[in-house]
Amino acid sequence: MDSQLLEEEFVKRVQSGAKIESNDWMPDGYRHLLIKLIHMHAVSEIMGVYPEKEWVPKAPNLRRKLALMAKVQDEMGHGQLLLRIVEDLAAPYGKGREELLDDLVEGKVKFHNVFHMEARTWADAGLIGWLIDGAAIINQASLLSTSYAPYARILKRICAEESFHMQHGENVILSIAMGTDKQRKMLQDSLNYWWYSLLFFFGPLETTPAAQKMLHYRIRTKTNEELRQKFLAKYVPRIWSLGLTIPDPTLHYDSKEERWYYTEPEWKTFQKIVSENKGPKSQERIALRRFAQDQHKWVRLAMTTEV
Amino acid sequence: MEKQTEPSSVYEVFVQRDHLDPMIHVGSLLAPTSELALQLARENFTRREQVLQIWVVPRIHIQSAEEADFHAREMDRSYREVSGYTENGRLWRMFKEKEITLEEIVRYVEQKKQSKNDLHREEGHES
Ligand SMILES: [Fe+2]
Ligand SMILES: [Fe+2]
Repeated sequence: MDSQLLEEEFVKRVQSGAKIESNDWMPDGYRHLLIKLIHMHAVSEIMGVYPEKEWVPKAPNLRRKLALMAKVQDEMGHGQLLLRIVEDLAAPYGKGREELLDDLVEGKVKFHNVFHMEARTWADAGLIGWLIDGAAIINQASLLSTSYAPYARILKRICAEESFHMQHGENVILSIAMGTDKQRKMLQDSLNYWWYSLLFFFGPLETTPAAQKMLHYRIRTKTNEELRQKFLAKYVPRIWSLGLTIPDPTLHYDSKEERWYYTEPEWKTFQKIVSENKGPKSQERIALRRFAQDQHKWVRLAMTTEV
Repeated sequence: MEKQTEPSSVYEVFVQRDHLDPMIHVGSLLAPTSELALQLARENFTRREQVLQIWVVPRIHIQSAEEADFHAREMDRSYREVSGYTENGRLWRMFKEKEITLEEIVRYVEQKKQSKNDLHREEGHES
């Protein structure tokens, strides 16, 4: 069969709900998109650890400290599970763990915008657990139906662990919300700082050619905007119930059109943060990552060298 | 001269029933080679059941934890479990909200359109 026919056959299969395994034949375009998506997902899990680990020494009590460390451990674990998936996909190109991690410190792979931002206060640390993990959960839940089976299986496991992250984040936020005026002010300030980063997290409004291709191959089944709408529907009422003000006076739900209207984030500014690593904490955290990678090289060698 | 046959060894058998399921251990068998182990596994374990994939693994290649305290929990770990945060439901009610679970979010994301119920609920908060 020529490759044109193979491709058509493949698309027909995934579009009718078939799942693809790592050893199955797949078009190069499919493989590339998967590598790009899951590589970014994996390194985002790793970089997502930084804003929270900064709060481990400063957590208000021992239980919070333990919970935060447990979460950091989970996210690092997610990074490793996902890197394994990418390694299998990238094996034909001779790319392994070392190269995939080098890409991160060399700025060749992007990570989510939110992890370029600063966790300034304990409320920020809590809000990351509640809303950033919340947004990530919506995104990951939508990927459970991906056509690539190894990714779907790992996401099932990841989502199960996220369930603790969600409850932990809510618990921190609820206790701050029940606190003093000063604490509630800190929480409001945190929401103001993170809001537009959260909206940006789901990606541009328009469906880019790459995103269109992912929908075509059923790597994704939902658009950015569909997911943003789901996030708003689940989280805005809860944010309001805490007595917080969302820093967007135009935000409202239109019941006729069945959608949320909101002020768009400054796409260009945020895009620059992600594509050029120019966020408030990008360079510092990448430097820390590079430091860790150098310092731990002997461990990786010990783990990969046959005795 | 009679051909020397290899002594049979134990193979552990795993099956995968659906692409979204993990490999599940279903039992073990005796076979002289891994190819024959695979044939036997098909006949012994999947005569009726439709499976996607079978793995056979020589038992000697399986490393398992021998000491009982390998899995010991040295301290309370509720801080890393959902069960450690059951008070969230009560706290949300103080703010006139319901608690929310991950399963609920997953169901909500998977569904095509918002259900009438959800819409109604969101509208109620618009004031
Ligand atoms: Fe994660
Ligand atoms: Fe998480």
